[in-house]
Amino acid sequence: MPRFPHSLLAPGQRLWRRAAGLSVLAALLWPLMAAVVAWALGGLLTGAAPSPLLAALGFGGLGVLRALANALAEGQAQAAADAILTQARANLLATEARRAEDSRLGGAGSIAALAGEKLELLVPYITRYAPARARVSVLPLVILILAFWHSWAVGLILLVSGPLIPVFMALVGLAAKEASARQLAEIGTLNDLLVDRLSALVDIRLLGAGARVLAGFQDQATHLRRRTMAVLGVAFLSSTVLELFAAIGVAMVAVFVGFSLLGALEFGTWGRPLSPQAGIFLLLLAPEFFQPLRDLSAAWHDKAVADAVLDELTAHAAESGAALPGTGGPAPRLPGPASVALLGCVTPSGRVLPDIAIAPGERVALVGASGAGKTSALRLMAGLSLPQTGQVRVAGQPLTAQTADGWRARLGWMPQAPHFLAGSLRQNLTLGREGDLPAALRSAAVDTVVAGMPRGLATRLGETGAGLSGGEARRITLARAVLAAPDLILADEPTADLDAATARSVTKGLLAQAARGATLVVATHDPALAARMDRIIDLGGAR
Amino acid sequence: MRALWVIFRTILRDQRVALLRGGALGLIVVLMGVALLGLSGWFITAAAAAGLAGAGAVFDVFRPSALVRFLALGRAAARYGERMLTHDATLRALQTLRGQVLAGMLAAPLAQMSRLRGAQALNRLTADIDALDGVPLRLVLPVLAGVAAQIVAFAALWWLVAPEVALWVLAGSLLGSALILTLAARRMLPLSRRVEAAAQAFRARLIDLIGARRDLTVYGRLVAQVGAVQGAEVRRLALRRDLDRADRRAGAALGVLGAVVTAGALGIGMALAQAGRIEPAFAALGFFAALALGETLAPLRRAVSDLGRMADAARRVTAAPGATPPPTPLGPVGQGLRVEGLTLLRPGTDAAVVSALTFAAQPGQTLALVGPSGAGKSTLLLALAGLHPVAAGQITLAGRALSDWPEAALRDHLALLPQRSALMAGTVAEALHLAGPADDATLWSVLEAVQLADLVRTRGGLPARIGPRGEGLSGGEARRLALARVILRRPQVLLLDEPTEGLDDSTARAVMAGLRRMLPQAILIVAAHRPLETEGADAVLTLN
Repeated sequence: MPRFPHSLLAPGQRLWRRAAGLSVLAALLWPLMAAVVAWALGGLLTGAAPSPLLAALGFGGLGVLRALANALAEGQAQAAADAILTQARANLLATEARRAEDSRLGGAGSIAALAGEKLELLVPYITRYAPARARVSVLPLVILILAFWHSWAVGLILLVSGPLIPVFMALVGLAAKEASARQLAEIGTLNDLLVDRLSALVDIRLLGAGARVLAGFQDQATHLRRRTMAVLGVAFLSSTVLELFAAIGVAMVAVFVGFSLLGALEFGTWGRPLSPQAGIFLLLLAPEFFQPLRDLSAAWHDKAVADAVLDELTAHAAESGAALPGTGGPAPRLPGPASVALLGCVTPSGRVLPDIAIAPGERVALVGASGAGKTSALRLMAGLSLPQTGQVRVAGQPLTAQTADGWRARLGWMPQAPHFLAGSLRQNLTLGREGDLPAALRSAAVDTVVAGMPRGLATRLGETGAGLSGGEARRITLARAVLAAPDLILADEPTADLDAATARSVTKGLLAQAARGATLVVATHDPALAARMDRIIDLGGAR
Repeated sequence: MRALWVIFRTILRDQRVALLRGGALGLIVVLMGVALLGLSGWFITAAAAAGLAGAGAVFDVFRPSALVRFLALGRAAARYGERMLTHDATLRALQTLRGQVLAGMLAAPLAQMSRLRGAQALNRLTADIDALDGVPLRLVLPVLAGVAAQIVAFAALWWLVAPEVALWVLAGSLLGSALILTLAARRMLPLSRRVEAAAQAFRARLIDLIGARRDLTVYGRLVAQVGAVQGAEVRRLALRRDLDRADRRAGAALGVLGAVVTAGALGIGMALAQAGRIEPAFAALGFFAALALGETLAPLRRAVSDLGRMADAARRVTAAPGATPPPTPLGPVGQGLRVEGLTLLRPGTDAAVVSALTFAAQPGQTLALVGPSGAGKSTLLLALAGLHPVAAGQITLAGRALSDWPEAALRDHLALLPQRSALMAGTVAEALHLAGPADDATLWSVLEAVQLADLVRTRGGLPARIGPRGEGLSGGEARRLALARVILRRPQVLLLDEPTEGLDDSTARAVMAGLRRMLPQAILIVAAHRPLETEGADAVLTLN
């Protein structure tokens, strides 16, 4: 459980303290305002009233001052929240950019939710809870001293009813934290569930499963609603109990003051009877004694929610996973021959691969049953992960974090399932690189397809390449791979999805690259493609 | 703003009784608060006056103090009830709304479905609808309760204290807050729309970063994508600061307004008391009531802060396709599939991909479609499944024109395995159950038919887990699982788009044989891209 203050909150610490100070200052103006009112209304009875204008100006002026001080405090608190959230997002982004594999905490939807709306849940905690905490530590004490100054009985009433509140609050806080942690976990899975459902909309429709999926989704939503209401129920109950405590305290003060002023009570003051001014002053102060405690309790829920978010952020930061070798940024091409070798490699998932050595300009097919490790081998060759044991040698030297970027700058890469970016076809093809785009499109036999698209290269692509058939998407990734005249092409099932004629033209495109001198490694099930290679390496059968 | 109203009406329709009760309780809470403070102020001042006059013994303390206790306890109870009622009703209404949007999307035309980007659609359903909880909770109910309380308090102050005080408090609070809220809304509405757009850009770019991590890395674009995500974040932050500033100003203005109105009530009350027109205790009542009414302004500020985001979310949610009522079921009246003079166009163009095509198929027959990529095999299958518009010609399924088939009956009769199928996170059993209810023996027989039984057994059987988007399965395994799913539909007509993609030859042959064994009477139409898919076909149709 994160301790207060959590290290993730450190970036806002200084602003945070200033916000707390200003907020206390604003709250301290209230006793002065109460004094003006007591002086004015009490004076009406004793005949010592100030002029109405003076009283109104005094009360109004202090009230305006209080509003401004509060606005300043909010400004500092919001700046603190900005600083903390910015840092947390930057950390999250840096962690995601360093990973070789997806986080175990969830897919892209989960992580985006954590970096987006879940992180925003810290804002109420920072802007409300911290100032409320500061007010709790100062205001009740000040008001208690003022109350004792006028009447020890009123002071005693407040002293007795006040401390009960934090005790109760702590108990409620514990329950709320547990309930909101459960709710938060559910939000994450509901989001993932939705991304999943939405990316499968067409399948759901084709399977006539719309009603079933909807029913399942409604079940999940009902769970989430129940949990949310459980969290809210605890929070509402706690604030109701506090309100009752406060109401009882204030009512007791009012009754004591009323009876004292009537002359029915002879005790509770320091010798002389309570003046009307003091009575009104005490009545105005009593609710403010409880107010900071109630503010804090209202913000307690914010803290419980924030604790759960902080736990999740800590888990995300602490998650150990294979790091991506290199930075993934542009780099000058690594000098040396376009050769690649796997020596005694065990993949990150623990599969033992045979030794493979591929010479510059060689054309090699990796074959084997589904799941034999073809894709893992290609990822090792591309420097997308490092082997558990063993060594990957590229361009005559070991592939390390230092050489990975330079090595990848020489590669053309055709993944099995492309994720197209939210952008135009052109952006997806060039990915910011220079190259002869028309030639690349021609060599991938996709130029006529692009020409036939409604907006040509400006067509926007969906997440899974909406508007493109499987074969077209595959050829787009080929065009993308050959654009910058790579020295080595790694292709995962380049002819899957394709009819014989198109498979031939893709094969021709790949072989043209080999003819240019590029090394070619394809993982394939397609015997026709494998037969066109210089060498076939069999990775064996399925587990 | 119109969209907000539409959303509120929808929510109200769904939870009318609970919301009306909650709203009434909300008004009672505010009024009890005003009465409590006003009564307490009056009580203390009147008691002091009686004490000074030596009339303490005859002053009735019991009725006012009993009323104070009743108001204090009653208010706490009413507030609890109001919160539980309105929150529960709102969450229920939002759940209904969420279901409606998902249902609408499921019934949307195919083109719209595939245009739907995961990140955006996800946002529409979760964040937007989550934001809409503020419509009743922070906007409509507090504003209505506040205005109603002001009017009731106005009447009470007029009657108990003096018209001057009543008019000052009502005019000051209502006019002042209306002015402040209008100005703030004008500034904040466009700003929060832009904040939201920046937040969406951040989200979409982050999802791209995570989803395309490997591709971006190989092409040296990972660092640039990180930069793009950061760029969106920087823009969001700058806009957010402007929005926060406007929000703070509105808050400060409301605070100043509260202070001025209360101070005025104090001054006017004092002047009237000194002129002898009212008792000092009623001047105190006026002041304390004004102080309590000031609290009704506080929720308005939250409403303004959230207004932009809510209006934006409401606009997007109401623009989403609505759910269509379920059509009346219609059964088949004949057998077989007939296509006459069919012409299909490439989407968004006038170019024909298939023109004047005629063929027929009878139960138990297998028809292979061959032709180069882009010849229209997939488009033809989509058209046969009723998912691609027919430009000319006629498709007749089981004796009835395809366009006359209601959606549900059509899906029961005919199934399509598209080129790319999405698998959802869950267990193998859950993936298969998407096709409909089936017992374990049936599931295993289908898994045997697609040569997946051994693999599933080694992974732990039907409860074996599949990651999001079929993670943990190879392309060929995912393909076969999707195939198993359509077989479970037991369709009369099965359309298969390159069904054995990603499978080696022996597996592919076994899968094709298993498929026919499971569905002996079905019409199979296969868009074939490798010779073995056409091997067992009764007829081959060449497109070009």
